[in-house]
Amino acid sequence: MEFLRPLAALALLTIPAIVLLYFLKVRRPEVRVSSLLFWRPYVADRQANAPWQRLRPSMLLLLQLLAALVLAIGLMRPGLIGAAGVDSTTVVMIDASPTMEATDVNPSRFGAAVDRARSLAGQLAPGQQMAVILLGDHATLLAAPTGDPALLRAALDRAQPSGSAGDFAEGISLANSILLGRPGGSIIMFSDGHSQAPTSPPRVGAPFTYVSVGSTGENAAIQTMSRSGNGSVFLRLANYGRNARDLKVEMRADGRLVDVLPVKLEGNTTSDVTWNRLSTSTQVLEAKLTPDDALGLDDTAWLVIAEPPHHPVLLVTSENGFLQQALKLRQGLDVTTVKPADYKPGKYDLVIFDGFVPPGKLPEPALLINPTVGLGPAPVGPQIDPGGVQPADVRDPLLRDVSLKDVHVQSAASLKVPTGWRTVISAAAGPLLLVREGDPRDALLTFDLHHSDLPLRAAFPILVNNLLDYLLPGGFENQVFTPGQSVTLIAEPGARYADVTGPDGRSSRLTPPFPPFAGTDLPGVYLVRQQLASGSRLSRFVVQLQDPALSRISPGAAPLIQAADRPSGVLPRGTLEVWPWLAAAALLALVAEWFVFLRGR
Amino acid sequence: MPRSSTRPGGSDLLTSAELTLLGRLDLAYRRPQSGLYAGERRSPRSARSPEFSDFRPYVAGDDFRQIDWGAYARLEKLMLRLYVAEEEACLNVVLDPSASMALGEPAKWPAARRLTAALSFLGLAAMDRVQVGALGGGRVPPLRGRDGVSRVWTFLEALEPAGTAGPDDLRRLHWLRPGVTVVISDFLAEDASWAQPLAAVASRRQEPVLWQVLAPDEEHPTISGDLKLVDHETGRARELTITPGLVGDYLRALAAHRAALARAAQAAGGRFLTSNSAEDLEAMMVAGLRAGVVRRG
Repeated sequence: MEFLRPLAALALLTIPAIVLLYFLKVRRPEVRVSSLLFWRPYVADRQANAPWQRLRPSMLLLLQLLAALVLAIGLMRPGLIGAAGVDSTTVVMIDASPTMEATDVNPSRFGAAVDRARSLAGQLAPGQQMAVILLGDHATLLAAPTGDPALLRAALDRAQPSGSAGDFAEGISLANSILLGRPGGSIIMFSDGHSQAPTSPPRVGAPFTYVSVGSTGENAAIQTMSRSGNGSVFLRLANYGRNARDLKVEMRADGRLVDVLPVKLEGNTTSDVTWNRLSTSTQVLEAKLTPDDALGLDDTAWLVIAEPPHHPVLLVTSENGFLQQALKLRQGLDVTTVKPADYKPGKYDLVIFDGFVPPGKLPEPALLINPTVGLGPAPVGPQIDPGGVQPADVRDPLLRDVSLKDVHVQSAASLKVPTGWRTVISAAAGPLLLVREGDPRDALLTFDLHHSDLPLRAAFPILVNNLLDYLLPGGFENQVFTPGQSVTLIAEPGARYADVTGPDGRSSRLTPPFPPFAGTDLPGVYLVRQQLASGSRLSRFVVQLQDPALSRISPGAAPLIQAADRPSGVLPRGTLEVWPWLAAAALLALVAEWFVFLRGR
Repeated sequence: MPRSSTRPGGSDLLTSAELTLLGRLDLAYRRPQSGLYAGERRSPRSARSPEFSDFRPYVAGDDFRQIDWGAYARLEKLMLRLYVAEEEACLNVVLDPSASMALGEPAKWPAARRLTAALSFLGLAAMDRVQVGALGGGRVPPLRGRDGVSRVWTFLEALEPAGTAGPDDLRRLHWLRPGVTVVISDFLAEDASWAQPLAAVASRRQEPVLWQVLAPDEEHPTISGDLKLVDHETGRARELTITPGLVGDYLRALAAHRAALARAAQAAGGRFLTSNSAEDLEAMMVAGLRAGVVRRG
């Protein structure tokens, strides 16, 4: 026998309190009667009316003391060790992918999953425990294993859908670690089958149950919205369902409805729409698909039209057509190209040194390409054959949409990664692309672009664009991010703080060194106001779902897993809590007390 | 019967409808009454009167004017005709004016006073000699005939319940005349025995009638919980926890008390009947009819 909540022994104080009440005289309301002839007092009444008399045996008192004692012991949660069945721990994994926000089930797929988990929490038997994992961008342990339904319900109340597909592999890993040393466990996953598929089926250490949530795949979305150089707005609409749909696209300029475009979309098709009525004074253009469908996240797209001030960029190179072409693709840059011999330090937001490193202190920020041996912030060594090219971390934002397949590098400078630098692209023999984190930001490409086929790949302009996002102040401006993605706000030099106002009007203030802004759960336009010494600078960025994989909301199949060996040996037995029986006994005692009271004896 | 708002002579006691009801009723005396004056009640004595009673053989010394010559012609025997003597009866009505009579919901006092007035009216209407008084208090002189009604009602209206009253007060009422003595009370005096006073009443050739008037909440108590009960007359208090069990005991004690009163009344050659204060006069008279105190006139 053990007590799971010994502090509840304080409830035993009710016993002397009841006895004390029996000692005290009762204050009674007065009623006038014709005669006391027929009102004959019982012994108990005579005792109750005599203050501070010796306590005499009373059935009522005994029953009240018994009820109080049993209730107090019940509150202490006594348990019989080893009397319960095998301990079982259920790990509930809830997929928080954006598709779980689809409302094809009431109130939504995510809401239905949370409701089912809440129901499971309410059905826990004594000795059983449950843990809750939320599968978002990362797997989050919402509730550690507990048998307390109230704790579990409170944890489930905190669950929110995520902006990116749930990380199934990470969730299984977390569930396995929870169930380690807990034989008799199981894993239940509530999902619509749109979590991130791991590269290989993960090994699951307990029986795995997949519960599919969702009923339909009918959904239309705005896949892309962009603006061409001549001012035309390009929209790509997609119908991911089987049925044809008659849709309308509402165009709003700075919140005002300016046009409605009817579109008929057959099942599983896309349609491109070009809109030429954009006013030059428009700051933000919004396109919205109507009528609403199951998933509202992908029905709206925004385009920030207002251009931020241009960034002066200096390119120091003998000749690099690839690089110059890639820089031209980026809007908002004023690129000045000079020969290394003509280089003079100036006021630039970014200086790119291609095959040249000036003596002395480098301007900041700087992008060094194929630097001179022994110079620069990260002095490089002699040329080597780097070997196969691969990403250092596939999830690195600098490699977003960058495919390194079929990329080869003939020769690159050898380099030992200095402290404070991070490898983005690596090869067998050493790093190929490094960035310096913090302030100042620098990037270093250790090879000559002409000695690689990278400039011939589609990945090159994207990589340059990502590098510019990283290096230029305000690289986030007018960019589109996915919900839940952290946005690195490269502030202008000398910025004292930056206020970020979300679509819901809530504002967050970031101060140097300006950590990444993570509050991007809501789709919409985010306004950034940087406070500079010379005034304030307003800019915007957009958060919206533009992932076709997440717009295909039809419930998918259960993820593939590898069943692990079941644990062997004698399973430990759990503690049987007996408070329900004690509560019943207390209730019985109170009923008996009431019966005795009614009988008057 | 619904009580009319019309009350003769501005009295609050009985309405004209109730008086109409009483006009159809009469007091029922068990024994022939023997009074000082001729009246409308049967007398134990035989006398000349319009009402034939019986025959009996003539014996020497009898008044030969009462010989029934017709019977002699048929039977050839001398027979005397006997007649019922009608003399006045005496009705004593004693009302308990103790403070406890003011309690109850509705209060017992108006009901008891109305009952007293009704019985007095019946006696006066039948030319009985009626005496009305309060237990332990004043009284009106003997009255006869309807002329006495207003005096009785004036006396009753002047009475207010106060103080205590009990069996000893009945024993001390020397103005009671032989006849029927109706005691109207709640009979809730504590530590009191009604047997001896009733025996004394009987010894003075009075037939006692105990008419108990209780309130509905005294017949079936509705109070419960932890209470301090205070005797309205004596001020004595008793703190109790009123439970259904205790109420059951109360009902048993009340039944035993009523049985004891009935036995005491029977032992004295009298009767015991009960009414409650929620009843109207018609219901009370029905109780009187059932007990044989009242009859249809």
